[in-house]
This record gives sequence, C-alpha cells and structure tokens, in this order.
Amino acid sequence: MRFLRLSLFPLLTTAAFAADAVEFNRDIRPVLADNCFHCHGPDPGTRKAGLRLDTEAGFFAPRQTKDGKQEPAPIIKGKPDQSSLYQRLLSKDEDEIMPPPETHKKLKPEQIAQIKSWIEQGAPWQPHWSLLPPVAVTPPTPKDAGWAKNPVDRFVLARLEKAGLTPAPEADARTLVRRLALDVTGLPPSPELLAKHLPKDGSRLSDAQVRALVDELMATPAYGEHRARYWLDAARYADSHGLHFDNPREMWPYRDWVVKAFNANQPFDQFTVEQIAGDLLPNPTESQLIATGLQRCNVTTNEGGTIVEENLANYAADRVQTMGWVYFGLTTNCAQCHDHKFDPFTQKDFYSLAAFFRNTTQPGLDGNVKDGRGPVIYLPSDADRPRFKALPGEIEAAKKAALDARAAAQKDFDGWVAKLKPADLDQDVPAKGLLRRFALNEGTGTPAQTRATGPLTWSKDGQTGPAPLLKKGANLELGDVGNFDTMKPLTVGGWFRPANVQGLQALVARMDDPKAAQGWSLFLNNANYGFYLISKWPNDAIKVTTAKPIAKKDTWQHVLLTYDGSGKAEGIKLYVDGAMVPLNLEINRLATSSQSKTPTRLGQRSASEFYEGNAQEVRFYDRALSAAEAFALARVDGIRAKVAGKLAGKDRAAVLDYYLGVRRPDVLAVATRQTALEAEFKAIKDRSPLTHIQEERKDMMPMANILLRGAYDKKGDQVAAEIPSALGKLPADAPKNRLGLARWLVSEQNTLTARVTVNRFWQEVFGQGLVKTSEDLGIMGTPPTHPELLDWLAVEFRRTGWDVKGFYRLILTSATYRQAAVQTKEKVEKDRDNSLFSRGPRFRMDAEMIRDQALAASGLLATRMGGPGTKPYQPENIWEVVGVGIQAYRPDKGENLYRRSLYNYWRRMAPPASLDLFNAPSREVSCVRRDRTNTPLQALVTLNDPQFVEAARVLAQRALLGAKDDGARLQAAAERALARTLKPAETTILQASLASLRQHYAAKPADAEALLKVGDTPADPALPKPELAAWTMLCNQLLNLDEVLNK
Amino acid sequence: MSILHEWNNLQTRRRFLGRGANVLGAAALTSLLGRSLAEAAPGAMSTQHLPKAKRVIYLHMVGGPAQMDLFDHKPGMQAMYDKDLPASIRNGQRLTTMTSGQARFPIAPTKYKFSPAGKCGMWMNTELLPNLAKSADDICWMRSLNTEAINHEPAICAMQTGNQIAGRPCLGSWASYGLGSGNDNLPSFVVLIATPTNRDQEQAISSRLWSSGYLPGEHSGVSFRSKGDPILFINNPPGVPDDLRKQTIDGINQLNRLNYEAVGDPETHTRIKQYEMAFRMQASVPELTDLTKEPEHVFKLYGEEARKRGSFANSVLMARRLVERGVRFVQIYHNNWDHHSNVNGRMPSQCRDVDQPCHALIEDLKQRGMFDDTLIIWGGEFGRTIYSQGGLSKANYGRDHHPRCFSMWMAGGGAKGGQIYGETDEFSYNIVKDPLPINDFHATVLHLLGYDHERFTYKYQGLDQKLTGVLPTKVVKALIA
Repeated sequence: MRFLRLSLFPLLTTAAFAADAVEFNRDIRPVLADNCFHCHGPDPGTRKAGLRLDTEAGFFAPRQTKDGKQEPAPIIKGKPDQSSLYQRLLSKDEDEIMPPPETHKKLKPEQIAQIKSWIEQGAPWQPHWSLLPPVAVTPPTPKDAGWAKNPVDRFVLARLEKAGLTPAPEADARTLVRRLALDVTGLPPSPELLAKHLPKDGSRLSDAQVRALVDELMATPAYGEHRARYWLDAARYADSHGLHFDNPREMWPYRDWVVKAFNANQPFDQFTVEQIAGDLLPNPTESQLIATGLQRCNVTTNEGGTIVEENLANYAADRVQTMGWVYFGLTTNCAQCHDHKFDPFTQKDFYSLAAFFRNTTQPGLDGNVKDGRGPVIYLPSDADRPRFKALPGEIEAAKKAALDARAAAQKDFDGWVAKLKPADLDQDVPAKGLLRRFALNEGTGTPAQTRATGPLTWSKDGQTGPAPLLKKGANLELGDVGNFDTMKPLTVGGWFRPANVQGLQALVARMDDPKAAQGWSLFLNNANYGFYLISKWPNDAIKVTTAKPIAKKDTWQHVLLTYDGSGKAEGIKLYVDGAMVPLNLEINRLATSSQSKTPTRLGQRSASEFYEGNAQEVRFYDRALSAAEAFALARVDGIRAKVAGKLAGKDRAAVLDYYLGVRRPDVLAVATRQTALEAEFKAIKDRSPLTHIQEERKDMMPMANILLRGAYDKKGDQVAAEIPSALGKLPADAPKNRLGLARWLVSEQNTLTARVTVNRFWQEVFGQGLVKTSEDLGIMGTPPTHPELLDWLAVEFRRTGWDVKGFYRLILTSATYRQAAVQTKEKVEKDRDNSLFSRGPRFRMDAEMIRDQALAASGLLATRMGGPGTKPYQPENIWEVVGVGIQAYRPDKGENLYRRSLYNYWRRMAPPASLDLFNAPSREVSCVRRDRTNTPLQALVTLNDPQFVEAARVLAQRALLGAKDDGARLQAAAERALARTLKPAETTILQASLASLRQHYAAKPADAEALLKVGDTPADPALPKPELAAWTMLCNQLLNLDEVLNK
Repeated sequence: MSILHEWNNLQTRRRFLGRGANVLGAAALTSLLGRSLAEAAPGAMSTQHLPKAKRVIYLHMVGGPAQMDLFDHKPGMQAMYDKDLPASIRNGQRLTTMTSGQARFPIAPTKYKFSPAGKCGMWMNTELLPNLAKSADDICWMRSLNTEAINHEPAICAMQTGNQIAGRPCLGSWASYGLGSGNDNLPSFVVLIATPTNRDQEQAISSRLWSSGYLPGEHSGVSFRSKGDPILFINNPPGVPDDLRKQTIDGINQLNRLNYEAVGDPETHTRIKQYEMAFRMQASVPELTDLTKEPEHVFKLYGEEARKRGSFANSVLMARRLVERGVRFVQIYHNNWDHHSNVNGRMPSQCRDVDQPCHALIEDLKQRGMFDDTLIIWGGEFGRTIYSQGGLSKANYGRDHHPRCFSMWMAGGGAKGGQIYGETDEFSYNIVKDPLPINDFHATVLHLLGYDHERFTYKYQGLDQKLTGVLPTKVVKALIA
C-alpha cells in the first residue's frame, strides 16, 4: 500500500481539501476495506464477532453476538464519543485496539481523524459506487469554456481547474496525425496520409480536419485489427490448447470474427450477446456461432491421468473469471473457494455463474487435437459449401437406397444359392492383371520364389492352412515383383494377423530407406493401416492412413490396397475385410517415379519398420481391382467353406452378403455410393477451417454444485444459474441460461457493463483508465479519477446504441486527447501520472504496435487479413524447451513473415518471444490491462531481432532509392519512422553517425555483406553494399528512438 | 534536491525497473532504488530480518523422483514383494486415471542398495548417488513433503508458485522482488533448462513456471538458453561489432536527450538508461558464458559433462558463475523423472546426471566461501507410489504419481546440515511424523532469505497477496541451522 499512498497523495489531498464533506465511498470505505474487511467483510468464514462493515446495517444496527449478547451499533450518527468503531481505533489496550496488532495493519492518524469527521457529519453511508446505476449529470461549466470541444472536455477541464492546472496546448498537426493513426489503426501514418491531411500552412488541424481524418482511418480494415487486438487479450485467444502438450487448437475464425465485428461497427450489446449466447439465439447464423468462441478460448488439457470432472470445473471457473474481469469489473476467482473478502460476491454467486457456463457438450479432455474433440463448426470454402450442405441429406438417401436394393435382390439370391456349388466361386477370384500370388500356406521351409532372411516358423491357424510368422530377422524377400511406378495402377494385399499393434510396421513393402524411402509400403501405424508411395520423402510422396484404428492384435484381417495410377492420393482405396474404409490423405505431392531398386519384402522396408505377425495369400496386380473384386478376394475362401456345408442362419446371411457384393454390381454400386458420399463429406471437412463454438447441453438445465474450497470432488449444495445477488436477479421472463445472462449484461439493470467497457476503451487511448484497475471496479479497485465523467460516458455509450466507433470518435476528437504530451514542472508536481489528463497521452506502445510500426515504416508490412496464425522469425529453441516432446517452431516464408502481429501464431506455453518481452500476455487467462515495463531485454529486441534489422535495411533501401542526397534521404527515413521532419540538431547527430558507419563498412566490406543478409527479403543489388549497410544501421538507430517506441 | 528532480529520479528508476504499477511493497522499493542503496546497507533495507541466504540455486527434478528409490529407506518392503498394498494404507487416496483402473496394487520394493551416509547416518541410495552421499552432513534431508496435486502441470505449478492454478508468481520471482538485483548488468532471476541424458519420459514445462505472475514483469525469470543466443537477442546482428553497436547506442541516446529537452517526459530518461544497460548486458554475457577460463580442477569436480552446453552439470556450473556475479535466484529444470515404467532403464542415467554435479556444487561453493549464504534446493513436484504401475519384476517396475509424501533436500544458506526431517510409514505412503506441506517449505525458504512470509506481500486485486496463500502456514525451525 505504501506506494499507492504516495502516488495518489496529490489526488486525495486536493479532493479532500476542496470539499470539506467526507464522502463515504471516496474517503471511508477504502480505509475500512483495507484494514477491517478481512474480519468484518462479506466473508462469513473469516468474520469475527458477527460484525460486518460492508453493509449499511452493519454500521447502524445493534447486533447480537454469538453468545447472545446485545451489542449497540458500532456507529452512533453524529457521536464519535459513543461510536465503538471509532473508540476502538483509539484504544491503547492491546486487546481492544483495532485493527489487532497481529494483523500488522494500522490506520494513519489522518485516516482516524477523517472517520471522526464522517461520524460527526452524521455518517452518511453509500453503497459501493459501481453498484449504483450510472447517472449522466450535466457536464460542468469550466471557467475556460472555450477550450472544451465536447462534454468530455468539460469534465476534464473542470477537474484540472480544481487542481489549479491548465491543459497543455494542442499538439501540432504531425504529432496529432501520428497519434490518431496509431490509436485508430495501430499503424503509423504513411507519408501519403500525412501529405493528405497536414495543413499546408503548418497550422494545427481544425475540428473538421480531425473528424475527417478519424473517419478515414476508421474506414480502413486496420481499425478492426487494432481494436480486436485489445479484445483478444481479454478473450484470452490463442492458437494452442495451453496445457501439457500444448498442441495446436484451430479457432482463428473466431479471431477474424472479432476483427470483422469491429470493422462493421457492430453495436457492443450485440457483440456481447453473440459471444456469450450466439448459439442460443433463434436460428443462429454461422457468424453468431463463431462468436461463441469467446467461451472456448480457455486453456484445456489432455494430460494423462487428469480427471475429467476436475478439468470441466476448471474450464467453467475460467469462464467465470473472464466474465468477471471483462464485464463486471469484479475479481471473482477468490469466490471459487470462499466468499469474497471485500466485494459482495459469495461463493454461491460464483457457482451460480459457473452454472451458466458448465452446461456444455465440451469434453474434459481436448485429445491434443485441433478440434479439441468438439463442439466445433466447419467453415467450407464457397466452392465447397453447396456440397457440404447437400451431403448429409444425400448420405441419408443413399443409406436408404442401399437397404432397399438389398431387400429387392433377396429373391434373386434365393434362386442362385439353391443351385450353387463351391467350384462356381472360383471365377470370382480376379485373375486379370495378376502379377504374382504368394499362397504362403506351405507349412514348412521357405515358400517358393521367396528368400527368407532367417529360419521361418509357421503358425497352424492360418486362413488357408499354416501361415508363416514373420518378425525381424525372419521374414521374406519377394524379389522383383511389384516395382510400382507413380503413374501406373496397382493392387497389393493379402491376409495379415499382427502380433501387436504398436508403432510402425511394414506389412509388405518395396522401399529403399537410404534412398529417401523411395518405393512403396503397405504399413501399420499402431492400429491404423496406411500406404506410402514415395519418390523422395517427404516432399515428393503420397501418404494415406485409415481415419480410424481398425487393426486388432492377434486378429486376421484381409487388407487390400488399390491405386489408380493418377499420381494423387485421391486415387488410393483401402479395403479391410472387403469393405472400403475412409482414409486421411496426409501427404499428397508425388511428382516423380516411385520405382526403386531394393527387392519387395514381406514384413519390412529395406532396413526398418519390422512387422511381427502372420501373412498369407499375398497378391500383386498391375491394375486397380474394383470394389467387387476386393470384396470377393476377402470373402471367397470363407464362403467356399460355408457353401460346402448346409446353409442356415448366420452362414446364409454371409453368403447373401457375398452374393450382393460380388455378383450384383448394381447393388454394390448403390452401397458404394454411400461410402463415396461419406468420403466426400469427410474430405470437405478435412480441407475446411474449423472453429470451436459453445453448445448448450439439451438434456439438462444449467446448474452447478458449490465446490467446497473449490475442489471438484467436494460437492456442496446444488445451485441454479443466476447472476450475482448483489447485482440483482435475472428478470422473471428471461431464460435461465446464457442467453438470459447475455441480455441482462447489456440491459439497463446492469450497472457495470457500460462502465467497465468505456473505462477499458479509454485506457486503450490514454494508457490508463478513469479507474486504473480496469479489471476491478470493486471495493478494492482504485476509485475513479473522474466519477462523473465515467458515468456520463457509460450512459452516453448506451444512449448511442452502444456505438463503438462513435465512442472512439468522441474521445479522439476531444480537446483532452488533442493536447500536446509536454510535461511542465507544475504538471509533474500536481499530475505526475497524468491521471487528471493535463497533457496528451504519451506512453510506450504495446508489443504488437512496435513490431507493426517497424514493418509499416519500412514498407514491408503485408496487409492480408485473417487466416491461420503466422510464424514470423523467432530464435531457435523457444518452443522446443517447453511442453512435452519436441514441437519445433518453423518460421513461415514470404508474406507471412511481414503480416500484422495480431495474426502471430500464439502458443500459450511459449508466446511469440519478441512480443512476450514487451509484456504481451501469454493468453492463458484473460487480460484486460497489460503491464508496461521497460527492461533492457526489450532494447535487445528492437536493436537485434532480425525482424527489426531487416525492417531497418528495407527502410534504408527505400530512403536511398527515393531521394538524391544525404539530407533528403535522412528526412525521408525520419518521416516514415517519426512522421515528422528532423530538427537541425538531430540532423547533426545523425550525420555524424552516418559518417562513422560509412567509414566502418567501407573498411570492412565483409561486415556489410553479413549485415545485409539478415532477413529473407534480398537486398537491392543495385545499391553499394557498404552504403546500404551504413544506412541500415542508421535506420536501426531511428527505429530505436524513444519517440518511435512511444505513442 | 528539488521535488521535480527528486521525482524524476524516482520515476526514472521506477519505470526503468518496474512497470509503473502504483502499488509496491516496501521491500521492493529498495530493489527499485537499485544497487547503490542496497550496497550502502546490504540486505538490511530489503529484508525483514537478518537473512541467512543471499541467493538460491533451485534444482527442480521434473516428473517427480521416486522417494523410496533414492532417500526414503523402506527395508521392510523387500519382504512384501508383489504383495498387495493394504487398503488401509491407500485409504481412499485418489489415483491418477493411469492406475485407477489397475486390478491390484503390488508392492515394488526398491532394487537399489541403500546404506547410511555421513555422520548423520542418512540411509540413502548410495549405489546411484555415491557422490551426493559424501555431502550427507552438509544436507538438510526432508522426507515429508506433501502436495495436493496429483498431475504434473498443477503439481509443478504448486511447487513453484504455491498454488495449483497457473498465474501466480514463482519462488524465484518473489526472491527477485525482495532481494532485487546484485548486478546492474544481469537479471536477478535466471532459468536454465538442462537436457537430461535420457529424454523418453519428459514432462511439460512452460514459461509460465518462471513468470512473475502479478509481480512486476522484471521479476520474471530470464531464460538462459542452451542453444543459440544465451539470452534472447543478446548478440548483435552479423556485421555489427561491439564498438559499432556502442556508437549507435550513443547516437540513440543523444537523440533521446534532445527529445527529453523538448518534451520533458521522464520516461525518455528511462529509455536512455535502458539502452545503456542493454549494452552493458551485451558486454558482460560473453564473459559469463565462457567456460574456457575455468581451471581443469573445476571440470574434474563437476565432471567432463560440464563442458557440454545444456547438460545438467554444465547448468549447475553456470549457476555457480551466475550467483558469483550477483544473480539472486537460479532455477534449473532437469526433466525425465516421471518413471511410470522401466525404473531400471531410467533411474541410473537420471542419477548419473545429477549425482556428481550436486556434490560438486556444494564443494565448489564451500571453496569460494559462498556455501553458507547460498541456498541449494533439490526436489520434484511430488513423489511416487510404492506399488508398481504395470508389470512388476524384482529387476524392473514402474511407479505412479504420489502426492502424499515425497523427499527433497536443501543445503547451505542456513539450512541445517545433517538434519533428517520427517518420517513416512513403512510403505512410504503416508506421513507419520512432521508433515511438511509445500507452503511451510516456502515459508521456511523465505525465512532463510530474510522475509516473514506473512508480511512479504504484494498488493494485487485488492489483496495483500503472498507466496504462501491463505491457509495457516509456518516456518519450520528444525530445518534451519
């Protein structure tokens, strides 16, 4: 507390002396909260002597103590002598004095005196200010009425005049254009923008000019990107799950939704309702569903051993905490375990809020996969959309058609089967294009046309007699058969029975390991089958695997792979026991020949992926067998055996299946159509972005159990979804779910949302809110510096229909905002933190703005919007040392290196390093107010990070190419970096720098060469290297100036 | 001194080192005022009582070493091989979902040889830790640590920050917040991630473990990296020698001074200092990380592995160099202690990684006269079960997570050498004497650093936040020399 006192001292004193009346909210409650609430606050768990000082009754009503004694009220209005609260503060008795010595808390004499004055003045009590509805008082009339441009200024100026201060003069035009560009778009003004908006006569901007500039900037898409960045901190948006493996999560469509919402100037109430309850709106649009991603941005885990119920409790708690900071301006998380010590927020309130957010279909484990195991929606491209929409219906119809066809063929079957002899089935075994067949049922020795790598053992229980048991050192070379080529069709497969389904095992392969795995392999990866067709791994290859694990340990399956010779993964089909199975097309970029010199092998590649298990009846064809043929191959031996006996029951059904599959292409075609449609649907899903959404459980009403001490397995009372009791109750007719909550949040009944929001918007522009603790407008938060202004803004925001652009326009066109950021001795003494806004805002910009500014100044900035997270330059070993296993960071190439930092891929365990050093949050929890530290590590970023060095070089190049002499070049670079021209004294310093840099690089051309290689954009070869290097370092200097790093 | 001047000074330092937060503890104020003040009255201003330790080297064994295979001697278990753990001992303990489905819980006695070490007679695994055993009398052995958490993420978080839920400052940040910096050119809190020889059971660690949470950002651990630049972006771009960098920084500062004259923002002053310090840091790190000047006997002491950048031995040697230069808190993470299976295949290399370097660190600090005021801490985030997870044989077994008891040790810095504290039951399952919850352990460490954990607070979200949380917590005097 010590420092707080110090920094607020001028404020408190001016306030206190200006008005003699003691104000409970301003002067008394903070002192009591700090010193007394722990034992005499809202938490009954720690409350002593039944006394509470957080309610009106607590002060003025007599009370019963635990032992039944009647105690007089602690405050007797007007009579400090009879008020025990005051007397206990004065006591010299160790047992009597408050606060008790062991708490190490002590009131200052002036605080005690103020409590006395308050009692003498009749002890007027007030509820905490943020729980009272905001009221728009008439803006005051300051003495210097001409200064004010809008009501905001009248509040600010009246406060300044009270403190004996005058506003700073208006900033010059260049400064203001730069400031506005940075505040509206997060980017510096381009020279073109400056040229367009600067008055030719060097005068300051007129009101109309400011307004025109603001409107022009707000119409650019960069506006929404800049606003979204602040919101995404609050929303804790990131591109990874956050815990344990911290694997990728796909939900950037939500990020893009936020950008679009700001650009479309969606009213803040709708913006809120859609994010809290878009899924519960009648017939929600896709956009409204995407909006609910706000609630899916919390960290999740898939750590083995964690308990689903506990995880779900944590996820809900995180949503309550986020809601608390973003909408209530209240810190809720202490109430997870106990009633809040200071604010009127109980543990029951916490779980009543949690109830809204728990009622979801989200699973407790995210599976370490990008969809987190749902709920998600897919967002197909415009081209895919019609099919994506039509397919579910078509699949249903195809299913029905398949059943119908089957029923219709039943009668034909009865006739066929009556005459059937086993030998009739031989014709079903495809003979055309058969390259070779290995029966592998000899039962002893080495099968013909093979070479064993070691002595074989035989298992008795094969499909067609004894089958060889293959393992490392005892498998078979099959010679030259099956030297398949990229553009030729093929079929390969047979019967397999794996002894285990762990790791990678090549069933049959012709693959040359040392030659970049050239060749092919039909393999098992754990329980998934797959196929490689490779010219050069991994960039000239095809890889597919089955979408689901289907192999089973110690179980025979017929596995057949066909390929149509198209060179595409789409041309591959895999049949297991005769049925086509869906595939994931993992790699699909084969261009050159897959033929290899190594022999074809059963049970391994040339030197790896040894298979352990049986094989039998392995066949090679030079064409892609049809589905009917694949079916026949898998079934014919079994059917032959059945047909030999008497057919009934299950056996007869199996023969029917066979008949339909092999002899009735018409029926098969219908069944195949269903499979094909399902595959088409899956393929569209696979290539479409997805995003996490919220989805309400339909089978129950929102409710939660109070968890004792916050522990998931210590359940207390069950509570229904409800808003915190101190804030009222949901209207009777409101749904008791998130939709009810969302509508209440933006209703007039809620005293908080508008205040909290305008305060945060104000903070973005001025660097600090009217309430500095923008996450906490509660009792322990700092009191507002301008309470009437805050309320006026809140009411105005609501009155204008929650018009976000309108709100920013209001403050950006104010005289308050337009002040120069110049300090004077007087201002330093009376308003050192600029809490009174006695000068314009000037503070070190956020991480993203600093990076984006360097990119924009140099002209490198790529303005493409949206899409998956980008990976610009980052030193090695930042991702690798965190998380489980090795997830390497691979920087992107080209445009993605230069896009706005908003789009940076955000891995929560290791957020972008250069941004992290400038206080960008990890996005593990909501953040509505960033730190702003200045550490030497930050200087190292802007001096040495390749991103900044490259930007300096490109800026240098631009200056060199764009102007003729040193003077003009310096001015050109300065205008891009500073948005202004250089003063003579500055030019002198820079010229001196330039001279010495030139000298260095002329003498050390190798240094110049090395420096110019930093970054992916090539240096202009037309420019002399030493000269460009010297200018690069000069621009590196410019981009590191305090004025550049500050707004 | 004029008010303006005085305030400029204060503001400059505050902004430079701090975040411009308007609430800071008295202890931290000293650190903000920087080294000169701290030097004038070493420790006295910033600490709340006379500290025993001035710096800490914390060796965190990620994954949770098995206490009964290293330090918690349970000879009676040999006779219980493959017998079921009595239900009365398990007593409703929640299990991870990795073993909750197991049909039985067969006891796996340790396969390693234990014998008493030192005058204190500490029974420990002398087969795999023969060097550490030589330091037994310098070490304060603790066998009764316990935690609430049962999975790695929350457990490491609890061990480091006092709370399972992420977002609070870690011990290193608290130490930095209190003690400030002992060297203007280096951060006060440094993190090293050592690469274990065997990596097949690594667990997640993340930068949140060394984040400053709600404390000002400069108290975050600065990661010294084992690949690439030791500190992020510490090296100049290629083609920029130090003297040229010095010139450019001088140019930047000259221009900033002009700007300060025009605008008068004290932040500009801060910026000038910030760039000066960045340069000094750039200049001092190469010397710091250059081990070639270390004499041969040092490598003999720590082992040849110490030459290999990123190894545990190398990290420990680096830690000694860091604390020698005034760094207050060095956190080393050594991974791969999560032995759900194959203890036989993993434990020896884990122990080989740490055994000699830990002993060497103690000896080395003694030789330099720094042992008495440097606190070394060794331990994981929880213990492991006496029963085997998966297959059990006399030669090999696995163990699941066990939060109810685990072993750690401290040395130097006021920790009581030769003390053996706490006792578990015959199954190393429950604590029977002197339980040591994490919060008590933290309170004791803070005490050694000169802070009363009740009063060593930071105002955040309206509360006086502290490392040890809200539950009753005590300093364990028996651990203190």
